[in-house]
Amino acid sequence: MTGQPGRPKDQPDRPAPPAGVREPRADRPERVRVTAPRSKAPLAPGRYSVSRELAEQSEVGEIFIRSLIRSQLRLALVVAGGFGVILAGVPVLMLLFPRINDITVFTVPLPWLLLGVGIYPVILVSAGLYNRAAARNERRFRQLVDDERIARPGWPGGAE
Amino acid sequence: MSPAVGLAALAAVCAATVLIGVYGLRISRTTGDFYVASRTVRPWWNASAIGGEYLSAASFLGVAGLILVSGIDALWFPIGYTAGYLMLLLFVAAPLRRSGAYTIPDFAAARLDSRPARTVTSLLVVIVGWLYIVPQLHGAALTVRITTGLPGWVGAAAVVVVVVLSVVTGGMRSITFVQAFQYWLKLTALAVPVIFVLLALGSTSQPITDGGAVFHSDLDVSDEASLYRNISLITALLFGTLGLPHVLVRFYTNPDGPSARRTTVIVLGLLSLFYIFPTLYGVLGRIYTPDLATGGQADATVLLLPARIFDGAAGDLLSALVIAGAFAAFLSTTSGLVVSLAGVVSQDLFRGSVRGFRWAAVLSAVVPLAVALATDSLALAGSVGTVFAFTASTICPLLLLGIWWRGLTDAGAIAGMVTGAVLCGAAVMLAAFAGSALGRFEELLAQPAAWSVPVAFVVTIAVSKLTASRRPLTVARVMARLHSPEHHHPAPRTVGR
Repeated sequence: MTGQPGRPKDQPDRPAPPAGVREPRADRPERVRVTAPRSKAPLAPGRYSVSRELAEQSEVGEIFIRSLIRSQLRLALVVAGGFGVILAGVPVLMLLFPRINDITVFTVPLPWLLLGVGIYPVILVSAGLYNRAAARNERRFRQLVDDERIARPGWPGGAE
Repeated sequence: MSPAVGLAALAAVCAATVLIGVYGLRISRTTGDFYVASRTVRPWWNASAIGGEYLSAASFLGVAGLILVSGIDALWFPIGYTAGYLMLLLFVAAPLRRSGAYTIPDFAAARLDSRPARTVTSLLVVIVGWLYIVPQLHGAALTVRITTGLPGWVGAAAVVVVVVLSVVTGGMRSITFVQAFQYWLKLTALAVPVIFVLLALGSTSQPITDGGAVFHSDLDVSDEASLYRNISLITALLFGTLGLPHVLVRFYTNPDGPSARRTTVIVLGLLSLFYIFPTLYGVLGRIYTPDLATGGQADATVLLLPARIFDGAAGDLLSALVIAGAFAAFLSTTSGLVVSLAGVVSQDLFRGSVRGFRWAAVLSAVVPLAVALATDSLALAGSVGTVFAFTASTICPLLLLGIWWRGLTDAGAIAGMVTGAVLCGAAVMLAAFAGSALGRFEELLAQPAAWSVPVAFVVTIAVSKLTASRRPLTVARVMARLHSPEHHHPAPRTVGR
């Protein structure tokens, strides 16, 4: 969003007055034009990271980004694949060993327990592991970028 | 159970929803607040809100109904609904938040740098949203008809009026509060009655599982599901969640990528906790409400079970609680969908103004109301499953390939989305109208996800490769934006001087 905090609420769809027609009053935040469609507005406000700046503007940054994307994708595929194998394992078990239905805990057959309750902790553990590993990949990327910047003072985000 | 109980519960939920909406209005000040709560929502609030929005009529009523009808095969539905969020976490959550786009069409436009791709995506998002609202309204109609004796359309109309009121006055900020409240209401509304039911059954030594007999497939009313059907269903649910418009819009209210991931993990916990309870209702229903399965009203299991166990005031009170929870489910999912649809429609038709957003909200709710009134309710979980299949065949390839593959072009994305939409839509329609005349093809057509999703992916990739010259020049920048992490501490800008 291009809106700034504290901007007055009344009719935010009215365009900003052209520059120079009237000076914005000092006690009031400057009016910001909200554009539509959103694609024409600047994207992604907020924290603008140095690593992103570097990645967008240099060849080495591009290489770093590619390797980050590859490692994140590999991680996601590994977690999804592992989960898929466990998920598919339950019906395969039921197919191979039909007697599994005779195993009961408090009268509840094992397949019901696995599908009704047991799979959810697996989902949660997968999510937790992924989250930690994804953050680790990003930390490593930031570290790489910082090292590169120190090594080459002339780079964006480095010395001015 | 007297009709007054149902009416009181409905009135209370509607009043609470509108009140919270109005309270939220006083905090929602700027256009930024209005659309996405200015991205100031904390992970726990946000996760509760996502849970509140996501747990729809299909989860609240449909899962128990399906367990009643088809036994263990029904357990795949809640697994798919939850694991879909795992896929969202793995492949979409953080990059999508970093894209900074507000809607899926915004993402398409930013990633592909293409106006036509944006338009096609907008159209699909609106179709998906409308299709998804219809079962919610069917659920509301069923609830009102069964619990109050009033005609069903009253329920559907009440949901639309309350949703439009709260969305139009409060926008996204208040909706976040409303949705978060709805999750905990839904959980309480399912958990408390079933716990009382279990205690009562235990203390009077009435059967709970009937020595395991409830789990036996002899009690199933429907035929055993084939392997193909289960695979297709899981494909639809796993990949359909990625593209649900009301789910994605929530991710923009996270401040950054890592918090989008944290939010998703909390959502997974909330969903896992929730689905224990519909499952319990379904299992108990196999002993205490089997008449609903044969009478074609299985979706009412959750609503009627408490009154079958408890007489008098206790039964009334617990029934009122479940009815309130069910209505909360219809309200929250519908309002989430209306907010995201209104976002898309107002950006493309009304130039993104607040007034345009309000008109778009009205439009987004009234069209599905007309459809819901003209059609009849199938099994709720089943009809929602069809919407997932459609999303998985259309928006999922755009998102997954857009985030992870540089080669995607606008022509490829459009070709894939149109192919997926036509294949999936035609198959489901054909299965619905031609039915058993199709013989063994009926199942292939009724549950198309297992083939329509791969075909959509293949078409997207093939056409992108053929039109490689159309790759947007901005792709490197956009990919860097999607994937590079935020700096949480100020960058050491003096280093290297």
